[in-house]
Amino acid sequence: MQPVKDIVIVGGGTAGWLAASTIAARHQGRIKAGQFSVTLVESPSVAIIGVGEGTWPTIRTTLKKIGVSETDFFRHCDGAFKQGGKFSRWTTGADDDFYYHPLVLPQGFHQVNLAPHWLAANDGRSFCDAVCAQGVLCDEGLAPKTITMAEYDGAANYSYHLDAGKFAPFLQSHATGKLGVRHVLADVIKVNQLENGDISSLDTAQAGTIRGDLFVDCTGFAALLIGKTLEVGFKPCSDVLFCDTALAVQVPYDRPDAPMASQTNATAQKAGWIWDIALPTRRGIGHVFSSRHMSDDEAHSILAAYVGPAIKDRNVRKIPIRSGHREIFWKKNVVAVGLAAGFLEPLESSAIVLGELSSKLIAEQMPANREIMDIVAANFNEVTSYRWGRIIDFLKLHYCLTKRTDSQFWIDNADPSTIPERLQNLLKVWKYRSPWFFDEFDRLEEVFPAASYQYVLYGMGFRTEVDPYELAVDEKLAAQYMRQNITSSFRMRSELPKNRELVDKIVTYGLQPI
Amino acid sequence: MTNIVPLNNQSHRDLRVMALVSDERNFVAVVAGEFPHLAPHYPIFFSKDSETGAFYCGAMLGFDEGENLFVAEGRNVYRPLNLQRGPFFVAGSDIAIDLDSPKVGSGELLFDESGAPSVYLKSIMALFRDLVPGMEQTRIFIEVLLGLKLIEPIDINLSFDDGTRRSLAGLYTINQEALRDLADADVLMLFRRGYLHLIYLMISSLAQVKFLAQRKNTALRAGLGLPR
Repeated sequence: MQPVKDIVIVGGGTAGWLAASTIAARHQGRIKAGQFSVTLVESPSVAIIGVGEGTWPTIRTTLKKIGVSETDFFRHCDGAFKQGGKFSRWTTGADDDFYYHPLVLPQGFHQVNLAPHWLAANDGRSFCDAVCAQGVLCDEGLAPKTITMAEYDGAANYSYHLDAGKFAPFLQSHATGKLGVRHVLADVIKVNQLENGDISSLDTAQAGTIRGDLFVDCTGFAALLIGKTLEVGFKPCSDVLFCDTALAVQVPYDRPDAPMASQTNATAQKAGWIWDIALPTRRGIGHVFSSRHMSDDEAHSILAAYVGPAIKDRNVRKIPIRSGHREIFWKKNVVAVGLAAGFLEPLESSAIVLGELSSKLIAEQMPANREIMDIVAANFNEVTSYRWGRIIDFLKLHYCLTKRTDSQFWIDNADPSTIPERLQNLLKVWKYRSPWFFDEFDRLEEVFPAASYQYVLYGMGFRTEVDPYELAVDEKLAAQYMRQNITSSFRMRSELPKNRELVDKIVTYGLQPI
Repeated sequence: MTNIVPLNNQSHRDLRVMALVSDERNFVAVVAGEFPHLAPHYPIFFSKDSETGAFYCGAMLGFDEGENLFVAEGRNVYRPLNLQRGPFFVAGSDIAIDLDSPKVGSGELLFDESGAPSVYLKSIMALFRDLVPGMEQTRIFIEVLLGLKLIEPIDINLSFDDGTRRSLAGLYTINQEALRDLADADVLMLFRRGYLHLIYLMISSLAQVKFLAQRKNTALRAGLGLPR
């Protein structure tokens, strides 16, 4: 039996350091005993892409598990709270067209499905406000917790907006300083393979040969190991998700105490949408669009109109988005994490969360030896393919429910031939039954649970037929949770501080560990 | 409102302050040096400052906002320094007074006829010599305990004779399981610094919650016309 004990991660971006930290934290005991090693090889000359300034609440568990203090995270990564997404102009394109996809579950979600009861009431309240407090918290720019709550605890579920350019170095210093990860700054010049195709070692220009038992490919779009060396194909999904280009810009605030939104704003445009992410020191804004439907010049002028005069003299970066993912993610003794595994438009901040979930799966299921690695890999591929498929479906949901017909982009997006079959079928089912707990999304770690589908469906005006006889079954319980929501919304509004106020306090005073 | 001004023997020559009247507060910040005096009467907890989130130590005097169940005790029971100091504050090396405090008006004089501090004011000055460095010592004590993960939240649920219930939130105490699991070197360090003594005083003071509840029940029964 050939033991798997030396892990080599190639690439020093967010994905690389997340993978290194997660694996090293999980195997600390063996690392300290000298029986396991995690090495990260990073090219000194390749800049990180640094996409992804939005995260999912999983990031809190991830950071806690690798032993990072939340206070340190806020202080070093220009972190801010994120409580969901606000989607404007996606349904009708009108000025008053918006909905929230919050991060909390509807009240009592594990006991009762409030969606049919909300549909039956049809009282003009948005679905989000009827079932949870978070839309109101976002409307008022409130934080999800107070300064007296312990690190990683919250009154409402939350994740972060962060500066990806600061996050990777932050994880690096934690991984090398606290978790025993070896950091090698060197360019890989040759990949050495065994007869069976496994990678045995990497020749580097500056640090000689680095051998390993398992290689994690975090080389971004280059996909050095999984793509170039092992020739795993790329499965594009541009027939479903049309956006293929982003123009990104960083915009300073006009004053240091300007209010800071606690949600990602995603405002639909003629042939795409604009993200707007609030960090304490600046906003990150980007126009994601389909180059088949719009020229760069037009996209630039739409971005300029959104940003206003502040765009003058700012550097606008063009980022290509090749939507899709690898056919498989783990082949031989190579597993891909991050952009090397695939990339989708940042509509629901799926990049970092997928990196986290993949890193966790690798860390948890670390094969003891080479002999069982193929079995672990097969499971990893199945789970990861499922996740990519569901994310693609979920992103498409935001587009295909549109009623906009003001441009070819939106008309094409609603064309059934561009909607994956599984999603088409689910949309048919959901006309008669709303998605819920234990339904179609029954995996232990769904990236987007049934609640997320509810928020988008009913936020975009989708109607599910309601059977009054079925409603009667849990009518009282539903009414009770709806009332509870009103009470808890009211309480949270009065108790929670403004988003910027709390972030400033955390930087000044810190949060307590308990 | 408050009107805090530095104290001087000219303008405050005839000022009088009620020395023995305690604030109507149910929780008051305390310093580690007071623990031996506090523990026989009050439960001592950690709590968090609502502005900064920082931990501090506090003695519990009652269960509801503004409920001090020891008000009638006068000198019979040790009064935490932060109650003894009445309307006085320190501003750098000077003592300041809140002229708007209800405790200012009648009571003890602050200066004698020659303008020298009265016995009462001297006792306040002495109090600050304990309180000011005491706050810093207590902060370090808490920092060490946090580092050793010795602090944990505690939920306290009570029901009183009038049928009402209280759930007290935002309180923390010593994590006794973590205390038992400490490495020998850490135990020795805590002992040498005098912290082990403070830790056990905090643990034993938890028994006072029951007596505090009895005080409240006695008052309630009196109010309800029930036999004591």
